[in-house]
Amino acid sequence: MVDQNSNYALQTSEVYVHYGKKMAINNVALNFPKNEVTSLIGPSGCGKSTFLRCLNRMNDVIDICNVKGKFLLNGNVDIYSPDIQVETLREKVGMVFQKPNPFPKTIYENVAYGPKIHGIASSQNELDEIVKDSLHRAGLYEEVKDRMDDIATGLSGGQQQRLCIARAIAIRPEIILMDEPCSALDPIATAKIEDLINELKENYTIIIVTHSMSQASRVSSKTAFFHLGNLVEYGETGKIFTKPDKEQTNDYITGRFG
Amino acid sequence: MLYLSLVFVFILSYSFYFYGKKRALSLKFKKNENLSSLPDYYGYYVVLLVFFPAIIIWFFLLIFKSNFQEMFVMSPVLFPDVATWSSGKFGLIMNKISNLSMIVNLSEIDLTVGDKSILKMASESEIIAAKNLANFDKIYGWSNLTLFIILPVLLGFLATKSISGKLNAQPIVEKIISYVIKGSSYIAIFITFGIFFSLVFEAINFFRYVNFMDFFFNTAWNPNRAFVINASEGFDQEALKEAFGFVPLLTGTLLIASVAMLVAVPLGLLTAIYLAEYASSKVRDIAKPIIEILAGIPTVVYGFFAALSLAPFIKDVGEGVGLPVSAESALAAGLAMGVMIIPFVSSLSDDVIKAVPQSLREGSYAIGATKSETIKKVILPAALAGIMGSFLLAISRAIGETMIVVMAASLRANLTFNPLEPATTITTQIVTSLIGDVEFDNPKTLVAFALGLTLFVMTLILNIAAITIVKKYREKYE
Repeated sequence: MVDQNSNYALQTSEVYVHYGKKMAINNVALNFPKNEVTSLIGPSGCGKSTFLRCLNRMNDVIDICNVKGKFLLNGNVDIYSPDIQVETLREKVGMVFQKPNPFPKTIYENVAYGPKIHGIASSQNELDEIVKDSLHRAGLYEEVKDRMDDIATGLSGGQQQRLCIARAIAIRPEIILMDEPCSALDPIATAKIEDLINELKENYTIIIVTHSMSQASRVSSKTAFFHLGNLVEYGETGKIFTKPDKEQTNDYITGRFG
Repeated sequence: MLYLSLVFVFILSYSFYFYGKKRALSLKFKKNENLSSLPDYYGYYVVLLVFFPAIIIWFFLLIFKSNFQEMFVMSPVLFPDVATWSSGKFGLIMNKISNLSMIVNLSEIDLTVGDKSILKMASESEIIAAKNLANFDKIYGWSNLTLFIILPVLLGFLATKSISGKLNAQPIVEKIISYVIKGSSYIAIFITFGIFFSLVFEAINFFRYVNFMDFFFNTAWNPNRAFVINASEGFDQEALKEAFGFVPLLTGTLLIASVAMLVAVPLGLLTAIYLAEYASSKVRDIAKPIIEILAGIPTVVYGFFAALSLAPFIKDVGEGVGLPVSAESALAAGLAMGVMIIPFVSSLSDDVIKAVPQSLREGSYAIGATKSETIKKVILPAALAGIMGSFLLAISRAIGETMIVVMAASLRANLTFNPLEPATTITTQIVTSLIGDVEFDNPKTLVAFALGLTLFVMTLILNIAAITIVKKYREKYE
């Protein structure tokens, strides 16, 4: 049920997603509290990524994908309403992908890309500040400050992913969606990203899809378990991982299937 | 017969692959030997030992066939004084004999009766030699065929016999293959150098008649002067000064190629963007091959399209607005050429745009960029190297194009940058200098090589420039 509680950054209900005739999400309702990290977990193909991509309408680019449901941003903005421009929505709801995908441009240009498009900076100095600040927040500034004009694809995988996070926060979104942001990274880079998520939640609402149960328990305060397109269980992360209500959830987190 | 034996070599070496492999496998399973290499490699090993010696001998026999012919025909028994003949006389007699041999071969005529005038001109021993020559091909062919059945079989059996578990075939096979691969790439390089040097040497001949500076910096192109001068007073550099001025050809080439690129680059690139980013896959599947047909239309068709439809149309339009347009204009040729090279730009650019990873598009959309911003700021820069490559291919095609210019733009050299006037190109002048009766001691003919060399250097510089640009601006994804 959608209530008008403004403590939620994003509220969804009655969400159905079809790829052609195949159902991917079946009647899901989930609310995401402000400035908290919510994990979406579940076995491969359970629809958690599809659901995540509904939240900034990334599924729009897939022709056969059909999304139905109610999505309210800040309790009052229907993100699928025809009045909403998808670009302004994505300005508020940023996204970080599974594989680091920096543009083949300089490090500076990568971060400055969003602010330039949305006209966020009024001057070159301000733009420089935004880039610097975003890299700072993404914990990358110290590593790249001397080579801002290097091509970003020369960075290591972990650095690239933090650059993508910097790129996402440079347009000052309210929500950051992360689609398995650490699955292509080694443990050290993963630890850095997780630390970063913990810092970022002060200012942003974060929704993260992850395959790693330990990661979900480390970074998130709420966890939602998906299976076969259904939301099986949602609750406090601590509760989901210690005494889940549903047997299915218990089986998954103890590794009996998935 | 020689070619039939080549087929035999192929078939035999292919079958020896199975024989060698079988032998290796039987060693492994029946005699419990440990093989040093994988069984396939014993097959390859036998194939290589059969194929390469045979093919080398085959080439040797093909190349030296005429030498064997001469040895066979010009025997001292028939021509006792053959050793004292000059090479010219030898050649003449050999020619006569081979002509005779065709008659002798055609019918079993009795050489002693009737009025066979050609035969009467030939001496007794020449006629015998001609008969021998007629037989030679048959003998040579059959002996080859025999050789190429016996030799590979023999080699094959020897090679197969030599297979044992200790024989490590893999490094041997890999070594031979690596030589073959290396050799193939060297052949391409040698041919390039060969073409280059043949151009250089003939061009040097040309520059013996015409001053280097005159050629590159004079603005008058009247190669027919070389004929006039030839008839009256022989060559003299002063007289040829005004005959071979390269500048109008260069400007003509650049003018027509620029017109073509002005057509092809925007149309081709926009087509590519539409096909890759906006068109549905259905439209793309139909439209792309249709556009590619443009490149497959024979240039001569573009030529008369340009000469008969485009040029009169341009002339009418020009006269309508009060511009003097000549019947054969650089514009008509350039437009037709531009249409021809659209697919070079559109098809290649479409492929490279398609090759930009989807993740970059999504990354840009996720930041809230629109489709057009994504294309302009992410996709085109990422695909730039390939797009530049397609432009380069189109330019070299435009510069190398001949037929359209011959038909639509005139053969008269004209120093101008006005596309409404007639102009001619380097390639067109190469053609005109080599058609008709040509003598290779006349600068009118030799100029083709100097022009060819210049064209070669031009495209080389273009290539190097493009590679440098691409390297500098390349945005690597991955």
